[in-house]
Amino acid sequence: MADALHTLSAAELGRRLAAGSLTSRALCAALIARYDAVNDKVGAFTHLDRADVLAQADASDARRRAGQGRGPLEGIPVAIKDNIAVQGQPLTCSSKMLASLVSPYDSHVAERLRAAGAILYGRLNMDEFAMGSSTENSALRKTYNPWDLARIPGGSSGGSAAALAAGLVPLSLGSDTGGSIRQPASHCGVVGLKPTYGLISRFGLVAFASSLDQIGPMARSVEDCELLLAALASADARDMTCFGPDERALTSAGEAKKLRIGIPKGFLGKGVAPEVAAAVEAAVAFYRAQGCTVSEVELPSADLAVPTYYVVATAEASSNLGRYDGVRYGHRSAQAGTPVEMMTNSRSEGFGAEVKRRILLGTFVLSAGYADAYYNRALRARAKIRAEYLAALSQVDVLLTPTVPTPAFKVGEKASDPLQLYLEDIFTIPANLAGLPALSVPCGKSGHLPVGFHLVGAPLSEAKLLAAGRLFEAAHGFAHQQAAL
Amino acid sequence: MAEGFDIDHLAKLARLSLTAEEKALYSSQLNSILGHFQALAQADLPATIDDARVVRESALRSDVPGPSLGAAAVTRIAPASRDGQISVPRVVDDEA
Amino acid sequence: MSSASAWEVVIGLEVHVQLHTRAKVFASSSWGFGQEPNEQVDPVVLGLPGTLPVVNREAVEKSILFGLVVGAEIPARCAWDRKNYFYPDNPKNYQLTQKDFPVVIGGSVEIELPGPSRNVMGEHKHVRIHHAHLEEDVGKLSHAGSGSLVDYNRAGVPLLEIVTEPDLRSAAEAEAFLRSLVAMLTQAGVADCDMEKGQLRCDCNVSIRRPGAPLGTRTETKNLNSISSVRDTVIYETARQIRELEAGRAITQETRGWNAELGRGYVLRDKEDAHDYRYFPDPDIPTLELSRATVERLAKQVPENLYDRQRRYMDTLGLPFTAASVLVANRELAEWFEAAVAAHPANPQGLANLVANDLLRELAATSGAPTGFEEAAPAPVSLASCPIKPAQLAGLVKLTDEGVISKQQAKEVFAEMFKSGQDAAAIVDAKGLRQNSDTGELEKIVQEVIADPAVAKSIAEYRAGNEKAINALKGPIMKRTQGKANPGLIDQLLRKALG
Repeated sequence: MADALHTLSAAELGRRLAAGSLTSRALCAALIARYDAVNDKVGAFTHLDRADVLAQADASDARRRAGQGRGPLEGIPVAIKDNIAVQGQPLTCSSKMLASLVSPYDSHVAERLRAAGAILYGRLNMDEFAMGSSTENSALRKTYNPWDLARIPGGSSGGSAAALAAGLVPLSLGSDTGGSIRQPASHCGVVGLKPTYGLISRFGLVAFASSLDQIGPMARSVEDCELLLAALASADARDMTCFGPDERALTSAGEAKKLRIGIPKGFLGKGVAPEVAAAVEAAVAFYRAQGCTVSEVELPSADLAVPTYYVVATAEASSNLGRYDGVRYGHRSAQAGTPVEMMTNSRSEGFGAEVKRRILLGTFVLSAGYADAYYNRALRARAKIRAEYLAALSQVDVLLTPTVPTPAFKVGEKASDPLQLYLEDIFTIPANLAGLPALSVPCGKSGHLPVGFHLVGAPLSEAKLLAAGRLFEAAHGFAHQQAAL
Repeated sequence: MAEGFDIDHLAKLARLSLTAEEKALYSSQLNSILGHFQALAQADLPATIDDARVVRESALRSDVPGPSLGAAAVTRIAPASRDGQISVPRVVDDEA
Repeated sequence: MSSASAWEVVIGLEVHVQLHTRAKVFASSSWGFGQEPNEQVDPVVLGLPGTLPVVNREAVEKSILFGLVVGAEIPARCAWDRKNYFYPDNPKNYQLTQKDFPVVIGGSVEIELPGPSRNVMGEHKHVRIHHAHLEEDVGKLSHAGSGSLVDYNRAGVPLLEIVTEPDLRSAAEAEAFLRSLVAMLTQAGVADCDMEKGQLRCDCNVSIRRPGAPLGTRTETKNLNSISSVRDTVIYETARQIRELEAGRAITQETRGWNAELGRGYVLRDKEDAHDYRYFPDPDIPTLELSRATVERLAKQVPENLYDRQRRYMDTLGLPFTAASVLVANRELAEWFEAAVAAHPANPQGLANLVANDLLRELAATSGAPTGFEEAAPAPVSLASCPIKPAQLAGLVKLTDEGVISKQQAKEVFAEMFKSGQDAAAIVDAKGLRQNSDTGELEKIVQEVIADPAVAKSIAEYRAGNEKAINALKGPIMKRTQGKANPGLIDQLLRKALG
């Protein structure tokens, strides 16, 4: 039984733990063995504190024996992207700048997972400071797509997706600013949800772009994803952008078979690979066959989404990353004759190329004489995009597109052309700009490479998205799929 | 080069020092990215910014002091410290 | 050969005031003077990765209260912006401030200039406030040998930056403005303004022009931390700019500092990258709605303006300027005084005299309170532990008015009251101080004294028209009554007897 544990869903593991046929310790021991066997190949994790994990497992088992189990996540490991603070664990954001930082405090989501009895399991690799779509920008190590180790897993939550696809953990947390949960989920054949902006507290999420960032659950099935979401979504007075206790009720799912699905006009023509288009069209056909209505919707400002995103996100990032200067924590350069020198050298040594590029771009779009032409225009464009999406979502329940135009590319293939990579975020970015919930669900393959489809809903419509996702996965075999490693 | 994009000036503002190669590479990459932003420059946009979120005073925090990290924890995280304070190279100017 | 009169100096002030709260403005750690370095620092203050600001309600309410005190507009909404710049005392390398939507808009501060003499009230003027915004303070840098040290205790302390219109026209006006502002802030409980603790700092903008001409180029002198340095800066900068202009040179717009020891200003070194703060709305703090219900509730906390009170004391209670001025400088004292007046409305001047002089002196001696604003300003004393109640002082004055004791005796009784907390009547009885107002008895004594040949000369002089000669007869009368004769009555009886 032990070697099959890593293939089980979180829901099934929860049942076995509750029934007493499995202990958390046995489960964690099995996963650690899997880690030892596989992590070097896949590179999903940057850190795993085995002693701490087993201590948590033992504490969980003791609670359960005392009749004090805390719910469906009790004793279940959840791996955490390395930009989400867990007290006593590294918080590197896969950057040299923070390579030695150990967090002195817990994020809100870490507190919630502890309260749910979950095991906080290791630190996951990512693009440095969440900037990237391939996890190639990690300064710590490489992560590979478990379905094809010569390819990227996606990014920036590449470790979070790869860990699931490699059977290293049943649940993981990612973060999503322009698609960083959904795109790697699609590339790795797993499920990823970016919630409505404000549903999950950002307290303890290292900020990249404050008005776009959200933490989200990732799993190998929609059912498992929903389990994790329930534990994470709660009010937090420490994040003013987070919904208060009276503002966060999710709209009811309604009947998934009666969903009205909207397909944005022209989206399938946007450089989408034929096999991706085919897999997504098959998903649409499935919903239609269930009784859902499918119609075309107009999103006239779609072309503005990518430039708008890259102006807003880099502007906020250039400010958010200003605090990394070697003064109070993190890397401090040895070349430090004056404070200016110290800060400049610490930052230049600590940041990788993509981070520097985005800081420079963000500094430019906010700078005197250019803020009106770029940043202020981008805010206005964002408002227009949001209004169009809300209008469309008043006519349909969900918008459906591919998650990514093409499947996972080869390592190094796009390293020299950042613009090309930016353009691939075309389907995921609008949900961040508009603050809307969005879900990626596996729907097929392009050759051997996973393909996912992407659902966007109105604010607080997570239940509808998840119901639609469950309807799909119940009728297909993509849930719990893992790469053979 | 996109109008007004002065990489030396921006690097100074952002406290980054770039090698000649980096300057050349980033300039050209950012130039092509900015070129792609033309759609934004030409779009017909609403005059006002949609303020998606406004909070009421209930979201404010009450004036009750919370715990501090303590000087020991602060100096432990800091790269360099002395007598409970964080040390940095000598600051010459009186203000930024 | 000064041609200073041909020039007009125009001054505007930006006053940074630390608000009276227990926790910081965007973080929950406490703050306050005198703590060990970095003991008042939490993850948010330090700017640790993943931390977020949360606005302190009390800081917002104190800001609104200030706005109401100066009669400003409290807008329906306010918002915070990031001011981005790198400096070691700035934990996030951006400061949260309010650039476009501050919490207070407009308003004005009434100021009082010194009069021609101490006893004469000076001219009053109104100085307009442009706006006030709520922001966070930065940490403290100190220099040690070849390096510098940073203490973040002060980082995140709530600062209200109050910006005036360029309405001030002299160093005296600048000083008067600051004194008035401090009084208003402390009397409303908005801020403690202890400048020795750095709770109030001032940036001073000065320009020169010919009267009627457009505004000249201004310089800004930053971080002045005493009223005298503001005054001295204005005087210095006015003279310097006039010298420059009269020599045919233009004024450079520059940022300056003030060296108090040397008594001169200096240019702060200009950085190569002129400040591009790249302001943008802080995405972590949504726009805040300021409810009218809150504004109305806070409006009830606005105390009477000190100059309105002063006018009321002078016009309605007939107090002289000096007494009124001293009383209104301390709100607690003024309210204590008013309670005494309520208990004995017939003689407010008598009460004012005792409160403004005797009571204040005793309280100042025992409290040892720190100075709120320095030098020639009254130290704020606390009435909280005053041993006397207002009604008791009223009782003392009543006894004096009724002629039971003389004014001289009243001083003695007061001292005893302050020591023991006892009522005046009890002390008068215990000490047997009741004045002799027995007309019959006193008439007899008057007759005896008049009959004494020793005073015949004085009587003759008095009858001849020398008013003062009558005083020579009072001494012997007082002696025969052990000092208890009612002096007013004695005077009356003497005049009657002497014709």
